[in-house]
Amino acid sequence: MKFKLTLGVLVVVVATLAWSACKSSQEPTQGSGVTQVTDPADAIDQKLMVALSQAKNFHHKAKVYMSDGNTAAAIASVREILSLRFPDKAPEADDVRNDARALLARLLVGQGQLDEAMNVVNEGLASGRESFFVANLYTVQGEIHQARADALSEATDPAAKAKLVEERHAAIESFDKSNQIDKKLQDQLMENR
Amino acid sequence: MAPDNDDNDFLTGRVPEPDAEPTAAERAHAKTFADLIDKTLSGHTPPAMSTDDRTLLEVATVIRAASGNALLDAAKQRSLVEDALRQAIGGAGSSAATTGSVVPITRSRARRWAPWAVAATSTLVAAAVLILWVRTPPRIVTHTVPAAQNLPETWKSRPADALIGPITKEHAGDASARIDTIFADRLDGYRELRLRGRKP
Repeated sequence: MKFKLTLGVLVVVVATLAWSACKSSQEPTQGSGVTQVTDPADAIDQKLMVALSQAKNFHHKAKVYMSDGNTAAAIASVREILSLRFPDKAPEADDVRNDARALLARLLVGQGQLDEAMNVVNEGLASGRESFFVANLYTVQGEIHQARADALSEATDPAAKAKLVEERHAAIESFDKSNQIDKKLQDQLMENR
Repeated sequence: MAPDNDDNDFLTGRVPEPDAEPTAAERAHAKTFADLIDKTLSGHTPPAMSTDDRTLLEVATVIRAASGNALLDAAKQRSLVEDALRQAIGGAGSSAATTGSVVPITRSRARRWAPWAVAATSTLVAAAVLILWVRTPPRIVTHTVPAAQNLPETWKSRPADALIGPITKEHAGDASARIDTIFADRLDGYRELRLRGRKP
């Protein structure tokens, strides 16, 4: 009799504990539900903001160096922008890099490194999408051609004179290309408005 | 049984005179009964005996026990004392199971409660394991909802042409100002996106 009574009490205790545990586990925890909305791939994200922030800081850093006359350090700082990691297929990446290339090329021209400046510009022109930044690169390309022509302006060698003419024509082509892109993009913007 | 020889009828026979000489049969019977008592006291009780003998034997046993002379033999006494001492110091009585030795009261109580204690402990442990198994940690349920594809333009990553416009030769070197403009614009869109509850 005593054994049965004790066994019954134990069974009741175990059943009560199990029931309470099941009940508490089934109750939804308040505030535990999280609704996450997936954004399209082209939404502005943290990675893009970080890259833009870093580019901004490198530009300011280069500006300080330029104001101090330290062109070499300014060039190094602008080069850092070209190695920043942007989100894949972010249009801002091309724009920021091309603007940095244009600045870098101008700094290199100021240092007399015309060929290196031209290489930097050509890298940007290979990016594909036309933009005001690409147009600016063509402008810089024209300035480089102009600088090359200026370097040949006092030459008496016929070959050098021919090269001078060639550079001037190339400069004009580059400036025309820049204007062409600017006009095309402005027309598009006007249409979109 | 003859009336003049009623030694075999102790209970109902004639009681002899106190000074009467014992007869040969009475002596023989007395010797046989004495042997019977001796065997009984030594633990060798005959398996069969007459009813009268059994009755007399029981009376003799009671008288002996009442007189206080019912002592165990030395070996038996020694065994019991050793068992009791051994149990008192915590050891198991060697002959407890076979001889029905003395068990301390506290140990006897413990033996009674031990199965219940084991059963209760096992039940509680089983209940605890069951609770831990059934009760899973609080879960954070994440509902992933596809966003509308038509996000506002200002929340999207996009070309900066509309923001910057044509770059004139006079401002070609203002790359720092342009990146500031781009960053500020994208930051506005990023904040709006986050404040709308969208996690980029």
